[in-house]
Amino acid sequence: MFCVAEASLYQQEALEAVRREGGGAAVESLTALELLQKEDEELRSIVTFSSQLDAALGGGVQIGKTTEISGGPGVGKTQLCLQLAVDVQVPQCFGGLGGQVVYIDTEGGFLLQRVVDIAAAAVRHCSLLVEDDEQHVAIDTFTVETVLSNMFLVRCHDYVELLAELHLLSDFLSNHPRVRLLVIDSVACPFRKHFDELSQRTRLLNGLAQQLIAMATSHEIAVVITNQMTTRVHGSQSQLVPALGDSWGHAPTTRLLLQWMGPHRLAAIFKSPDHMNSTVQYQITSDGFRDADQSEQPQRKRPRTDTDQSAGHQRDTSC
Amino acid sequence: MAVLSEGMCPGLDEVLLRGLRAADVKTVEDLVSSDIEELARKCSVSYKALFAIRRVLLAQHTAFPVSGADLYEELLSSTAIISTGNPSLDKVLDSGLYTGEITELSGGPGSGKSQVCFGVAVHISYQLKQSVIFIDTTGGLTARRLLQMLQTETSNKEEQMEALQRIHIFRLFDVHSLLDCLHSLRSGRLQQASVGSGSVKAVIVDSVSAVIAPLLGGRQNEGMSLMIQVAGTLKTMAKDFNVAALVTNHVTRSGSGEVQPGLGVSWSHIPRTRVLLEQVEKSLVSQSTLRSATLIKSSRQPCHIKEVFDLQWWSRSKEGSSGKRKLEETDS
Repeated sequence: MFCVAEASLYQQEALEAVRREGGGAAVESLTALELLQKEDEELRSIVTFSSQLDAALGGGVQIGKTTEISGGPGVGKTQLCLQLAVDVQVPQCFGGLGGQVVYIDTEGGFLLQRVVDIAAAAVRHCSLLVEDDEQHVAIDTFTVETVLSNMFLVRCHDYVELLAELHLLSDFLSNHPRVRLLVIDSVACPFRKHFDELSQRTRLLNGLAQQLIAMATSHEIAVVITNQMTTRVHGSQSQLVPALGDSWGHAPTTRLLLQWMGPHRLAAIFKSPDHMNSTVQYQITSDGFRDADQSEQPQRKRPRTDTDQSAGHQRDTSC
Repeated sequence: MAVLSEGMCPGLDEVLLRGLRAADVKTVEDLVSSDIEELARKCSVSYKALFAIRRVLLAQHTAFPVSGADLYEELLSSTAIISTGNPSLDKVLDSGLYTGEITELSGGPGSGKSQVCFGVAVHISYQLKQSVIFIDTTGGLTARRLLQMLQTETSNKEEQMEALQRIHIFRLFDVHSLLDCLHSLRSGRLQQASVGSGSVKAVIVDSVSAVIAPLLGGRQNEGMSLMIQVAGTLKTMAKDFNVAALVTNHVTRSGSGEVQPGLGVSWSHIPRTRVLLEQVEKSLVSQSTLRSATLIKSSRQPCHIKEVFDLQWWSRSKEGSSGKRKLEETDS
């Protein structure tokens, strides 16, 4: 206001100018119908190579959204990330995205040998599917070497490096428009140490979350982050929950929990704006992340006791 | 804060204005709050003239009393209560969202805040045939889910498309673009959005905490002021255009481990009605779609009313995922 007075502009004129300025740079709005068309045409999903998990997620990991994978050590978080990093590159004529991937490794868990295994299995899988000429051409360029060359690995050692990298990443993505997936494995590791003040950590994490979803939307990439588990104590009971606190829980669009149930591995969706919570079984083979063997199917029903109840309830409302 | 200008009131001419400016009096506020006697000496104008100007300015800028009866008339003619489409929620909210007010939904991750927002948006656009503005700051909105909800209401493709067209979406991820958006809505976009497709009856911000929380915590004061600005803009918009504002908020845990809405005490005064959503089943990976809604602030109803509702209410009957449920049921 003071500068307005000094420039002896009339207030109305100033307001007019502000309005004109605002009109030009105003945020874009779109109707839900336009968004729906966009989702159908451009924003496809990255398959996980586990048909059950794909079905539960509605086709796989969504482009333009953030997905968190949490779980205890050794349950397969990194394996799923590596699998996705390979899957995103499956050529379009095989129903993939033909994209590239940026992989931010903060734990040092990126194993190149595993990537080669998974990539070789994916290439083998696609070569069995070849039917027409277009696919013949595509399979020639879809090899383990190209898979590796379309992978950009960033190793971050602490949270400062991670935040700095994310600030620069926007430019990198503009220069590499084919990138369709950003993996951060894991976000918990750098943020679980070196913090004296928890409110500072929460603030940085909230900022990071907004940055990620903004990037996912504007560059049309899928963001996959992994998280570790921590113990929450309720009186005398304790429970394993994803780390980084409650307010971080709001950040990812979809949250997946990988856990052991006896000898089986289960993947549970427990936060998703457009899919029901559900649990599926999976296994990790030398080829990567796959459906559990069909013969073991009936057993996976056991862990859940509430299914019947909620399904019953649902029947009530549908009558 | 209005800048002093020529012709604002009789006696305020160019010469006087220049004099006042030289004395560092630029706005109405400056003039009204300054010592008239001293100012008259500094600008060498008559005390009487300045006094008269001040009186006129005060009269121009003052708020004026309105009688309760008039207010009630206005309230009856302008306020609408918009049903959320869910009877249990309506009961908690005293029959729905009131226009001109801010209603807040808070709850932990996966407690159903966004689902309620989608449900309300679909209900308003399809059942009430009015427009809705949906500001998505978390990237949680998918048109596919909206369509899914609409499909349970009607199988008529055209009606579905029409309803989708009445939902206007803004996707923004930081507080400055949120403020920009709210300002542009206030200065005309809101009416523009209403042309042709029913007037805008609700503005939904899902979630307000996502953009504000990154600025709070640590030793930062800027975040506080931005939060209050967002609140002020939302409030005036709701009042001026008679729309219902529905915002969502995250939760934090107090020292004793109790769940409470986020954004602290200053924000708690902003919404007129606050509802806390929780999962009925406390386990982390729950399959249940039952949620409880607890009223924690209201000026109309006693607090701590609790209702249990089913998130599937908005997608009753046939739906892709419910088919899957039945399948599981049969083979178990």
